[in-house]
Amino acid sequence: MDPALEYHHLQSRRQFFQGAGLKVGSIALAQLLSQKALAQALPSKADIHPALPGLPNFAPKAKNLIYLHMNGAPAQQDLFDHKPQMEQFFDKELPDSVRNGQRITTMTSGQKRFPVAPSKFAFERCGQSGILMSELVPHMKGIADEVTMIKSVHTEAINHDPACTFVMTGSEVPGRPSLGSWLSYGLGSESQNLPAFVVFTPTVKNPSQALFSRMWTSGFLPSKYDGVKLRSAGDPVLYVKNPPGVSSGDRRAMLDALGQLNEKSFERFGDPETQTRIAQYEMAFRMQSSVPELTDLKGESKATLEMYGPNAQKPGTFAHSALLTRRLIERGVRVVQVLHRGWDQHGNLPKEIKNQCLDVDQPTAALIKDLKERGMLEDTLVVFGGEFGRTAYCQGKLTRESYGRDHHPRNFCMWMAGGGIKAGMTYGETDDFSYNIAENPVHLNELNATILHCMGIDHSRFTVRHQGLDQRLTGVEHVNPVKPILA
Amino acid sequence: MRQPIIAKLASAILLTGPAFAAPDFTRDIRPILADKCFACHGPDANTREAKLRLDTHEGATGGGSGTQAIVPGDLDNSEAWIRILSQDPDEVMPPPDSHKELSPAEKDLLKQWIIEGAAYEEHWAFIPPRKPVIPDGERSPIDFLLQRRLKSEGLAPAPLAQPETLVRRIYLDLTGLPPRPEEIDTFLVDQSPEAIERLIDNLMKRPSYGEHMARYWLDLARYADTHGLHLDNERSMWPYRDWVVRAFNQNVSFAAFTRWQLAGDLMPGATLDQKIASGFNRCNVTTGEGGSINKEWIYRNAVERTSTTVEVWMGLTAGCAVCHDHKFDPISTKEYYSMYAFFHSTADPALDGNKLDTPPVIKVPAAGSQVKLAELETTIENLGKGITEKIRAVDYKDPAVLAEPPSSTNKTIIWIEDGPPSKAVASGNTPWKFVTRPEPVFTGERAHVREAKGLSQHYFTEANPPLLIERGMTLFTHVYLDPENPPAQLMLQFNDGSWEHRAYWGKDLIDWGTQNTASRQRIGDLPAVGQWVRLEVDIARVGLKPGSKLNGWAFTQFDGKVFWDQSGGRVETNPASDPSFSWTAWKAQNENESNKALPGELQKVVKGKDPAQWSESETQRIFHHWLEHIYAGEIAGLKLLQDQRTKAVQEKDAISKQTAVTFVMADLPKQRDSFVMKRGEYDNPGEKVTRSVPAFLPPLPAKPEGRDYNRLDLANWLVNGKNPLTARVAVNRFWQQFFGIGLVKTSADFGTQGEFPSHPELLDWLAINFVEEGWDIQQLVKRIMTSHAYRQSSVTSAALQEKDPENRLLARGPRHRLDAEVIRDQALNLSGLMISRIGGRGVRPYQPPNIWEPVGFASSNTRNYKQGKGDDLYRRSLYTFLKRTAPPPFMATFDGPNREQSCAIRGRSNTPMQALHLMNDVQHVEAARALAQRILKEGGTNAEDRIRWGWRLVTARYPSREESQIVLTALQTHRNRYLGDPEAATKLIAFGDSPPDPDIPPSQLAAWTLIANLLLNLDEVVNKN
Repeated sequence: MDPALEYHHLQSRRQFFQGAGLKVGSIALAQLLSQKALAQALPSKADIHPALPGLPNFAPKAKNLIYLHMNGAPAQQDLFDHKPQMEQFFDKELPDSVRNGQRITTMTSGQKRFPVAPSKFAFERCGQSGILMSELVPHMKGIADEVTMIKSVHTEAINHDPACTFVMTGSEVPGRPSLGSWLSYGLGSESQNLPAFVVFTPTVKNPSQALFSRMWTSGFLPSKYDGVKLRSAGDPVLYVKNPPGVSSGDRRAMLDALGQLNEKSFERFGDPETQTRIAQYEMAFRMQSSVPELTDLKGESKATLEMYGPNAQKPGTFAHSALLTRRLIERGVRVVQVLHRGWDQHGNLPKEIKNQCLDVDQPTAALIKDLKERGMLEDTLVVFGGEFGRTAYCQGKLTRESYGRDHHPRNFCMWMAGGGIKAGMTYGETDDFSYNIAENPVHLNELNATILHCMGIDHSRFTVRHQGLDQRLTGVEHVNPVKPILA
Repeated sequence: MRQPIIAKLASAILLTGPAFAAPDFTRDIRPILADKCFACHGPDANTREAKLRLDTHEGATGGGSGTQAIVPGDLDNSEAWIRILSQDPDEVMPPPDSHKELSPAEKDLLKQWIIEGAAYEEHWAFIPPRKPVIPDGERSPIDFLLQRRLKSEGLAPAPLAQPETLVRRIYLDLTGLPPRPEEIDTFLVDQSPEAIERLIDNLMKRPSYGEHMARYWLDLARYADTHGLHLDNERSMWPYRDWVVRAFNQNVSFAAFTRWQLAGDLMPGATLDQKIASGFNRCNVTTGEGGSINKEWIYRNAVERTSTTVEVWMGLTAGCAVCHDHKFDPISTKEYYSMYAFFHSTADPALDGNKLDTPPVIKVPAAGSQVKLAELETTIENLGKGITEKIRAVDYKDPAVLAEPPSSTNKTIIWIEDGPPSKAVASGNTPWKFVTRPEPVFTGERAHVREAKGLSQHYFTEANPPLLIERGMTLFTHVYLDPENPPAQLMLQFNDGSWEHRAYWGKDLIDWGTQNTASRQRIGDLPAVGQWVRLEVDIARVGLKPGSKLNGWAFTQFDGKVFWDQSGGRVETNPASDPSFSWTAWKAQNENESNKALPGELQKVVKGKDPAQWSESETQRIFHHWLEHIYAGEIAGLKLLQDQRTKAVQEKDAISKQTAVTFVMADLPKQRDSFVMKRGEYDNPGEKVTRSVPAFLPPLPAKPEGRDYNRLDLANWLVNGKNPLTARVAVNRFWQQFFGIGLVKTSADFGTQGEFPSHPELLDWLAINFVEEGWDIQQLVKRIMTSHAYRQSSVTSAALQEKDPENRLLARGPRHRLDAEVIRDQALNLSGLMISRIGGRGVRPYQPPNIWEPVGFASSNTRNYKQGKGDDLYRRSLYTFLKRTAPPPFMATFDGPNREQSCAIRGRSNTPMQALHLMNDVQHVEAARALAQRILKEGGTNAEDRIRWGWRLVTARYPSREESQIVLTALQTHRNRYLGDPEAATKLIAFGDSPPDPDIPPSQLAAWTLIANLLLNLDEVVNKN
């Protein structure tokens, strides 16, 4: 090999390393400079998404993350937090001792009464573990023994926008990197042909809550750590398709010329970024075939397709997204996030939540089973939840058949499954009204610390200097991962 | 916010070079202490451990319990040093659980510093800049200071850049657009410093200069076209964006620029522009989410505005002090909330109401319309005077008091002529369309026309005064049916509060109402075509009662083309008893009545009073009003004047409708009390605070008599020349704009956690000079651009790359990827597609489906992206509608911020998504095709010449022989391919809204389109070189 060229390669890799501007916790300068660390940091020629040097901090239990976000806040009382005691309080005032003067949103703060609305749905203890789930999620009952159900998650925000921003970025104020961006920044990805972090926003019948691109973008990190949306309409990845009348061969010919000309540009200016650009155009070309291959379901067995339900082959559905999620993880993508909208039931909750569950219940259960069958669940962490919970008292008209629930940040349910997490466990408890946490509270910062822990990252040392502070996903106050749920 | 992460490694190499043998407190020591010690031993009293603070000399050397942390000159008795060296995990500092560790290099520095006497200095950015000594005769102090440092590093500046590289660099940096070939030629003739200065002067006069400069400021101002939170509905803020463009084009001084934006509303006799500028702090994201708690959002908005102002003008990250005393900078929470108090009494509501025009707003007439409006107002006023004269001159004889009462007469009230009556709100399936002669016009100056397939109509409602229906009245209109395309049915509909009064002619195809009733009454057959015909309807047939009032009228048709003209009512009347002929009769009718048709003040006079009680002057005024507006008799020449006035009023209204609103700043009449909010919680007030600035900075002037400090005082304080931060922060950002990186790399953080300047003396010199020259931005820019540092070659060597990868020393010129907007604008410009109109509401160019839709709230008015047409596709990127929760892909993919918060530094990532975008986005492919057309038409006749021409157009230089050859080979491949597949060629060239040139064979155009696509993707083209 041409020694000059070799030197350029080294330079460009070193530049890449420096350009990434590492400041990982307390890794000392000397250590960074040591040959060993440098060697680790230098991406091999094929390494498109390298990890930061020093990461993971310790052996990870999970290599990949799947985050199923139910946007709008599912009612925990109707899905997972069974409160039979509420039955006796039907249409009776929520006791003051329970509400305890806590703030409520201005949507219900004007209500004269706060009548208790017991869930109309039947609950059942499921599997060996006996985790409680309601009739709304019949398929999830089948995976109860795979999950840890956390009943005591809490957050601060009481409205959707700040709460959604918090659950995904650890801050109510926009501008921070999303969880997926943090992970792809820190851990990189094993896929050479696909982005490190992929996002789905399946379509729903009633998009009654908004999503925000800040839930999957990179905030103050470089935009290369943005989640890439896999889309159901138009190009599956933005601009992945050649224009009409341009074949893959045409593109190859154009890129061959471009590569040669950009090499000349590198000779002319000596700028290592030019080498990176050449590599990125090649990656783009590979994506032009890897993305269609990804979305082509021909190779999926009938049994698999049936397991994900009737919508498995219908682009834009949650089921289709869930199936593609498994295919992405199979191909080495680090983080997949599915954001399903429509869970904000202020009124007419029983009817609407049923529809919501019809969308997600079967595909979610199928995803867990599918991962397990393929031996992928052990190193994939799956998280299921919303941005906050809903109130025990009714918003609007209350009958046995119909009621509504307002926002409730004080406690809600999330479950986790797979790599690093105990299977078949319930953690945390709430009071008889699912209104206050009775034991083992889990703040979202602690939940995020737990996610990072499963992925081999010490969250307290995973920082980036921004606005004069070493910013971390998990906030300023010190928190710990939730040890009891770790496998 | 997108900001590259601080590369400690790179700067470490740089700052520990041979030039820095002796440790300097500010440069070397303080950053170590700040990073490793201040969290527990810094300014924040609440988290201070062992009562020890290391950020001040007194703190570090004060004897505690027998030990002293630092004993100047005495290492062995310095407890801090002993602890640093300790092996005991309970003793060692920093403690292991802090995950902080001192490197050997850092320890050496600390050791050396203590030995040399542990001198403390105040943080460099908090003391006033000092002017460095520049030897007489130095042409460029910038180069002098840069080269002095280079020399000490054993380096030398690079030679001047190639003229072609330089001319493109200058054009892109000043206008965001590349030079044209003839502009390159001009530059090649003369590159003397004088010629460059002239060029810069000329480019600064172009509107594109302001557009380009504004972009950077809009990132700081977090400008966008939606509210940002929850529904993320549209907000009307663009007049502010256009003002920023204007301000740069007018070279408004940075001092004025500051005052207007922070306090334009408070300036004495504030101009329209000053008020618009005050919208700076209305650009923040706001919410209208149901259930939100007002108190929380008033608090949050004030915090956002405070933190942004402090960051943009003072380069400090004050946000830390929202919850606790700043850990690193001397800003206590109390001081933070004292600044917050300036912004805590703003008059905007807590919640934005999801409205386009959340108050306070002002109206901004469309550019150029102010003169026209003033003209129209004069016209209206003059016509009014003429009308008054005519009225005064009338010799009125009341028929009721005549000895011989006149016989009955016909009275015609023309209600609709040349347009809808006054105050009417016009609507229709498509808007009202008018024609003038020689098209068919019956009376007046114009007729209204409608051509329809099936049912179509135009109409109005809310006319005032209404048409009073009188006994025996006939309503009429005039029509002219196009002989070529006659309608199948005509219908008139009258609104007296409801539309259930319909008359029609011809077929019964429109099925509104019930046939043969007042709600759908057939009057007769269609009239003759090709001539004006009067259609009449007896009020009884359509169920209109005498005394009712029409406020609306609809012209409805099925198929065909119909001209409509003069419409109104006719009635036979006895003048002596008709209030529209007899003053006496009218007075009698209106006795004690309230009469809504009268202007407000006359209503008051008439209401509840006998005409006999009217004073002389009241009677006169009412009588004149009656003559002018109600009297149905003929007054010579009056009608003409009235018609002219109506027309002028309508024209004025139409222009006023184009008037935009923009958010402005205003304060509540009564100031809110402000408090320290404990732990940054909106419902947890602590100590009360008053408006003030941090103690480590120069104080505000004495409080004015009779009022509290306000935002204008704060703005004046920022730009009074004494604040050590403002000018440094500003010049550093301009430096960053041209060199890609600031002298202070952390351009939004000049605090102790920020980075020490690479050239502190240069920064000070620039800052002092900036103030001395009246905060003249163009002067500063010119100074930077005429330096050798800016003009030198950016070619880098392996050795230089190794020594200074980030180019902090500027031993070479700047080279980096163009910003998102510039990449798109460049393609539009080179292709000739660009529409260079300035300003206006955000436009919606090409955007793939499903960018807005999958995130938008169902009821959001920015849920569905409706792509613009024509010019809207080709405007400069600055004018693209920016929805914050789903920004345009060309911005998001190329590191454009989503404007949710202020952004001082954009990242420059290099990703496959960018490659896909530039290769395949319809915007860029269409631009490539248009560029191909230019190459084929303007670039000569053979392939070699065309390649040379095209290459030079996009890079400003001619290609080498090798480069030409590579392109030529690609061209041949593409050409063969498209000759063999004409269908593919046709598809490719049809991509995009603009039509391909029909004179060029599709296969040829397609092959060249891919060549142009190649050229626009060149590394050299997406970079400033």
